[in-house]
Amino acid sequence: MAKEMYYENINVGDAMPPLVKGPLQKLQLVMYAGASGDFNPLHTIDDFAKAVGMKDGVIAHGMLIMGTVGQAISSWVPQKYLKKFVVRFAGMTKPNNTITVTGTVTDKRVEGGENLITCEVVAKDENGDVKVSGRFVAALPKKK
Amino acid sequence: MADLSKVGSKYAPMSWEVERGKIRELAKAIGDPNPIYQDKEAAIKEGYKDSPAPPTFLTVPMMWSDRMPTVINDLKINFMMVLHGEEEYEYYQPIYPGDVITGTPVVAKAEEKVSKSGAKMDMVTIEILYTNQRGEKVAKARSLLVERK
Repeated sequence: MAKEMYYENINVGDAMPPLVKGPLQKLQLVMYAGASGDFNPLHTIDDFAKAVGMKDGVIAHGMLIMGTVGQAISSWVPQKYLKKFVVRFAGMTKPNNTITVTGTVTDKRVEGGENLITCEVVAKDENGDVKVSGRFVAALPKKK
Repeated sequence: MADLSKVGSKYAPMSWEVERGKIRELAKAIGDPNPIYQDKEAAIKEGYKDSPAPPTFLTVPMMWSDRMPTVINDLKINFMMVLHGEEEYEYYQPIYPGDVITGTPVVAKAEEKVSKSGAKMDMVTIEILYTNQRGEKVAKARSLLVERK
C-alpha cells in the first residue's frame, strides 16, 4: 500500500498523511486481546475495570494505539525501511474515542551509509488529548 | 515495590514460531487493511519475501509466552499498580511466517523516580534482543514499566 519513497523527496517539515480511526468499539478490544495475548480484563470486562477505578469501564490496550500509529507509518513509509519506532503512552483511550495520528519529519541525515529520516508522531483523540507520542526512524533509498 | 537490585538479571529465553495466521490476525485486530499482511503475493510485489510481521508484532510472543508476568513477579512489582510507560523497537530485518524467533529478557534499568507532583515511582526497563532460527538478529524491544507506589 505504501508507495515507493526516496530520500531526496522527503524534507524536514514534511507532514505524514494523517490517519483517522474511530469511534473505537469495545469489540475491537476483544479482538486485540485475542490477537496480542494481552488478556488483562481491564481492556475487556467493564465490571473489572470499574472495580480498579476506571469509572467509565474498559480502556484500550496501549499497544493497540501504538499499532494504530504503526498503521499510519507503514501506510506512508514502506515497513521494510523502518529502523526504529518508539512511543510514550501518555493517556488512556476509551471506547468511542476517535484517534487521529499525525506526524512531522524533524530530521534527515546520511549516517553510516544510510539515508535516515526521523519523524515525530502523535495520536490524539477528538478532544485533542494526547494518547501516544513518539517517533520513528527510517532508512530510505536514494534515486539511482 | 520493584526490587531495584535486579538490574542486569537475565530470564530464560523464549522461542516463538511466527505463524501466517497470527500476522493476519494482529493486522486485522489493529484494523490495518494493508494487503501485505494478508496476502503473500501483495507482499512480494512490494519487495518482501512473504507477509512481514507488522511493526508492533513483538508484543505477541511477549504476551502469549507469559514471559511478562514471570518477569513482573520476579521483580516483585505489584501488577495492579503497573503502567506501560514506553515501548521501543529497533528493526534489523523483517520477520516472516515460519521464522522461529528467540528472545532473552534482561532488566536493563531499574530506578526510583519522583514525579513533578512528588509521587514516587519505580521505573523498570526490560530489553529483549530477538534472533531468528539462523541466529541472526531480527529486532530489539525495550519496554518501560512504571510502578506507582
